[in-house]
Amino acid sequence: MDNQQKLIDAFTQALGIEANAVTDELTYNTIPQWDSTAHMVLVAELENTFDVMLDTDDIIDMSSVAQAKLILQKYDVNFGQ
Amino acid sequence: MSISDSELLSKASVLVTGATGGIGRAIVARCLAAGATVFAAGRNEAALNELHESAGKALIPLCYDVSDENAVKDTFRQLQRMVSDGVAPPLYGLVNCAGVMLESPLSVTKMDNLKAQLNINLLAPYQHMQLASRLMSRLRRGSIVNVVSQVGEQGSSGMSAYAASKAALTGATKSLAKELAPVGIRVNAVAPGFIDTSLTSHYDEAAQQAVFKRVASGRAGTPEEVADAIFYLLSPQAGYTSGQVLGVDGVFTP
Repeated sequence: MDNQQKLIDAFTQALGIEANAVTDELTYNTIPQWDSTAHMVLVAELENTFDVMLDTDDIIDMSSVAQAKLILQKYDVNFGQ
Repeated sequence: MSISDSELLSKASVLVTGATGGIGRAIVARCLAAGATVFAAGRNEAALNELHESAGKALIPLCYDVSDENAVKDTFRQLQRMVSDGVAPPLYGLVNCAGVMLESPLSVTKMDNLKAQLNINLLAPYQHMQLASRLMSRLRRGSIVNVVSQVGEQGSSGMSAYAASKAALTGATKSLAKELAPVGIRVNAVAPGFIDTSLTSHYDEAAQQAVFKRVASGRAGTPEEVADAIFYLLSPQAGYTSGQVLGVDGVFTP
């Protein structure tokens, strides 16, 4: 499974949404499922999936799917083009 | 039917800060007896190694300063690595036991001393809760127990800096219990009174007797009695209890 698919799985698992809803534009607090509690679960899911430990500043900045990808790239998780 | 202590804790890890102190050692022993893997955190490497030698591989010593923000982050990275490599089971429990006690009247309390109290008694446990809760939320379960104080709950003349730091931790405990409940994490505290540990060892006989007059039970508590209360809150037996401060004080008026 490639990293893009792993990322989608992490979002669907953490937020309880369909895979087709996980687009780069999906943003924190714009859907009921992505609230502050789900954000914490999402962080845990991403850390677990990609075996990283995110800095608090990065968690604060993780406001969209696109942003999540950018941040994960800092931890050597690549998504290709 | 609730899951038993041995069932859960034998497959779980518990991080105890201040593990080489009186209460720390007692709760470490209690967790080990229940079959848990214990991450024992402290600054005294020799004391940690001694604990490790007596407990064996169920105890993993972690030598760092809890008030060093970067050292705490590094420790959690190390802990996460051990869990993902299968060296230790997932983190289920956190006991914030490390603390320092300043006895100093307001007029002679230096700001640096106040900050040191806040750093060790409040900011350090807060950062540990922040990082531990992220590991716990992966499994949607966990239990955090903070060691606060009756001095913080009730106030004590000449101990305002210490009281403030512990009262702040009580506030964090109650708030985080509400915030973390949706992800299956309980947050509680114990509030010891006068306990026979190194923090109170400087009290001479006369000073101790003066304190005991304000303890309905008429004696000091033992670290083991505090550990029993911590262990209860940590365990699945307290599965529906969160946001509580359990006094372990023989009915004490500071």
